[in-house]
Amino acid sequence: MRKHNGELEIDEDLKMERRTWTVQRVSWVILILIVIAALLGFTGRGGVKGINKLTKSTASQAMEVEYDRFLRDEVEGEMKITLHNLKSANPTLFFSKEFYDKVRVEEIVPEPEHTEISPDGITYTFRATKPEFIILFYTKPLHIGPLQITAKGPDNEAVTMSQFVYP
Amino acid sequence: MDTIIKGAVIYVFLLLIFRLSGKRTMYDVTVFDFVLLLIIAETTQQALLGDDFSLTNGLLLIITLIILDIIISLLKQKFKPIEKMVDGGPLIIMDKGQLLRDRMRKERIDEVDILESARDLHGLQRLDQIKYAILEKNGKITIIPEEKAS
Repeated sequence: MRKHNGELEIDEDLKMERRTWTVQRVSWVILILIVIAALLGFTGRGGVKGINKLTKSTASQAMEVEYDRFLRDEVEGEMKITLHNLKSANPTLFFSKEFYDKVRVEEIVPEPEHTEISPDGITYTFRATKPEFIILFYTKPLHIGPLQITAKGPDNEAVTMSQFVYP
Repeated sequence: MDTIIKGAVIYVFLLLIFRLSGKRTMYDVTVFDFVLLLIIAETTQQALLGDDFSLTNGLLLIITLIILDIIISLLKQKFKPIEKMVDGGPLIIMDKGQLLRDRMRKERIDEVDILESARDLHGLQRLDQIKYAILEKNGKITIIPEEKAS
């Protein structure tokens, strides 16, 4: 064991301590950046509009989808679909296969009249009383990682949602 | 499977975060640190168990954590650099009666902390009665008093 001042036996490693101080300070900055990113919405659940909460419309604006870009594993999220200028009283909504493979639908408001699952996706048929129709989906993602879902409105125009599910 | 991965991630994360927060963070448990500790414990527990409160899950988690602890202690014993990386090392903060202010600032320690340890461990009253003060790797400050002139 090294002796400090010829009397104090101590295993002091100043080089390592200096390195640790640097690493600590750099990590503190990283931790603050993580918190700022979380406040802005980069880790899901709230945040600034446009970062986490996204709105996408089809080319004809007939369907508008509001969803969260960042989700968390097994944590419920909300998706709002607005259909404009409906021509039919029984509009259909189609979601690609990932929607039933990687997501569990907890609740749909209003409830669909009819649901049909096919190898490519799931189709919901609703009963609409007004030409403006809002549907809320409460869902829980079941898989961690990127999630890409395509939604198609009554006039078969598609909107693709790219999401990410945190562990 | 999920539980084991979660347990391992949380273990490594806590190890890293406490190491990065510095030696003093968890040693001197003031009221605030106590609250912090409680919140961290509660958050960790929820993240680890999720909504699976089964006995299997609990036992699996305990086994995982214990195994990780054994692995880390074996690694520390076998490889000294790993021990230094995980635990850190002692640091002299008062050398022959002189305060090493730069080191104290870096470790967020002041004279008050040194005096507190001096009172607690040796019943000393003044800084000039201290020869060496060492910040140990567990965050405790140990004191070697100045030898009394006879």
